[in-house]
Amino acid sequence: MADLGVEIPGLSMANPLMLASGIQGGNAAALHRVASSGAGGLVSKSIGPVPREMYPGPVCVEAMDSVILNAMGLPNPGADKFAEVVRGEEFAKPMLVSIFGGDAEGYVEVAEKMADAGASCLELNLSCPHAKPGSRSLIIGQQPELIREVVAAVRAAVDIPIYAKLSPNTTNIVVEAEAALSAGADGLALINTVSAIEVDPFAGRPIIGNLLCGMSGPAIRPIAQRKVAEISLAMLRGELPNVPILAMGGIMTGLDVARFIMLGASAVQIGSALIWDDVDVFQGIADELSSFMEQNGYDDLASMRGIALDSLEGLS
Amino acid sequence: MTLRAAPQNRPEDFDLAALADGCCERLAAAYEVRGMIAPPIPLPVIEVQHEAEGVVTLWVQVPPEMVADYNPGQYFMCWNPYDATGSMGRPNYHSEKPYSVGDVKIDRSGVDERIAADTGGSGRTMLGFTVKDLGRQSGELTRMAVGDWLAVRGPFGTSFPRMNSGDRLILVSGGIGSTPMHMAALDARRKLGERLRIDAIMGFRNAVEVHYIERMDNLCDSLEITTDDGSMGTSGFPTGPLPDLLSNGHEGRTVLLTCGPEPMMKPVLQMAVDAGVECYAAMERYLPCSVAMCGLCMVGDRLTCVDGPVMEGDWLLQQADFGAAH
Repeated sequence: MADLGVEIPGLSMANPLMLASGIQGGNAAALHRVASSGAGGLVSKSIGPVPREMYPGPVCVEAMDSVILNAMGLPNPGADKFAEVVRGEEFAKPMLVSIFGGDAEGYVEVAEKMADAGASCLELNLSCPHAKPGSRSLIIGQQPELIREVVAAVRAAVDIPIYAKLSPNTTNIVVEAEAALSAGADGLALINTVSAIEVDPFAGRPIIGNLLCGMSGPAIRPIAQRKVAEISLAMLRGELPNVPILAMGGIMTGLDVARFIMLGASAVQIGSALIWDDVDVFQGIADELSSFMEQNGYDDLASMRGIALDSLEGLS
Repeated sequence: MTLRAAPQNRPEDFDLAALADGCCERLAAAYEVRGMIAPPIPLPVIEVQHEAEGVVTLWVQVPPEMVADYNPGQYFMCWNPYDATGSMGRPNYHSEKPYSVGDVKIDRSGVDERIAADTGGSGRTMLGFTVKDLGRQSGELTRMAVGDWLAVRGPFGTSFPRMNSGDRLILVSGGIGSTPMHMAALDARRKLGERLRIDAIMGFRNAVEVHYIERMDNLCDSLEITTDDGSMGTSGFPTGPLPDLLSNGHEGRTVLLTCGPEPMMKPVLQMAVDAGVECYAAMERYLPCSVAMCGLCMVGDRLTCVDGPVMEGDWLLQQADFGAAH
């Protein structure tokens, strides 16, 4: 049997498949439901300082083949309520708690409450492309100086590992990765959704309730892979410290997981796939990954991590 | 800014039937490829039928295969892209929400009966969504007019169990829970004719909101109406007449289905379970996404959107979060 185990700061998992943030994970019952599947780890919905309601629907559709569009609007029960979940619930799998705030103070407030409640690590959602209804202004994740400010503030406030979740909607993602890591992040998570819009020609208006939306699903996997590759290459060149990467974007199969691992990822997150097959996807993907590794003689994830980068090393 | 695609801004000589046909074709294509998770496809409302105060049925034309595939208990996500003022300025007034189908029909008004058989023209397949004004979004739907957009996708979720010849069906509804109960009765009659018995209890708050009586009377062997205030039928809740129905001996399988507010369904299911009767509820919860993404519609360890809305009565009675008003 291939060893699928993952050991990275704050996360000790039996396999590299984590639930992506924003899918189901906003309350104890839903998290237990995912924890009882084949997932290796959980990521909570992004938790903010105060409770937030969902945007008006439609909030999530399959617009065309392999394209999922969503604008949920960061619905969450708020830091106080979710701290009770972190404190009181014993989940069968380790959980990365995703947090967001309107500014550095907001992030720190949530981070402290989660750390006090016993969270083992945090994911800073710097990159939600639709944090305000109809907002077209830049998000934190598109402004390196704000990333630095937020990560440094959270770093100073809590001792647990921090993963910075990056947006793909930037010119050079290495710049944002550098900002997060130089401010003290222990790892990176990427990518968030690709900013998008879709119009219904009959109704003559966007089909998502929030009008603007984020795109996910298999169609964005090559984009996500490119972003992961760019960061991994920067690490190889010594331009970035070598830290774990949690990769995500349209993963549907065990082979997709292998692709990301071969580009340098330590673990992956899975979200859109749940639309088609719900939480059962985790076991299927884990089995597929395991059998692929056995067929190819990879004993563990480390033995195939980053091997696809070899062919890219000569690129300047 | 004028939203030029809003239904209010169409030219006077607009051909609604042609638009309905085009939208129906589009829905058929989307349904074939993507099924229920396709984007909501806007359909023009063909007919608005008044049912009771604050209760209307919106009729839209859909592909016949969509009706053929529909199983009672399942729901559609419905969305009006514009509110009744023709604007998009109040997004919470036109958010997508789950609705059970209330009725289906074939509209043959556009068909020439003399040539229909030759040309295969069988009329328009119509889906009726019966909506009660219960808040901003459902209220907005009850104010829709012919020609307004109703975008739909589905059907989603689990359905009621299959009935067999010789079975007996007991249907207990509260308020707008009438719609899936009507579809269950209609489906059973279509498939089994008189070879099953259907007894129904319909509960309402008062006589003013009473609806679907005629439809149910045509399908059921017995129908009892209850109103909380006694303004029509038996005074009280649907649980009043239920013991008589449950103790009325029936040779063979009896299945009880219920849909309504949870404080009503809980005692109904409890009485059925106590009487040893197989029972199911069509659950309604705040259900924003319908695709197992948001996780906000949990009952116990199940998602109402994909593990429901039809759930077993004995299981529901064991869930701590079942039975409160929502």
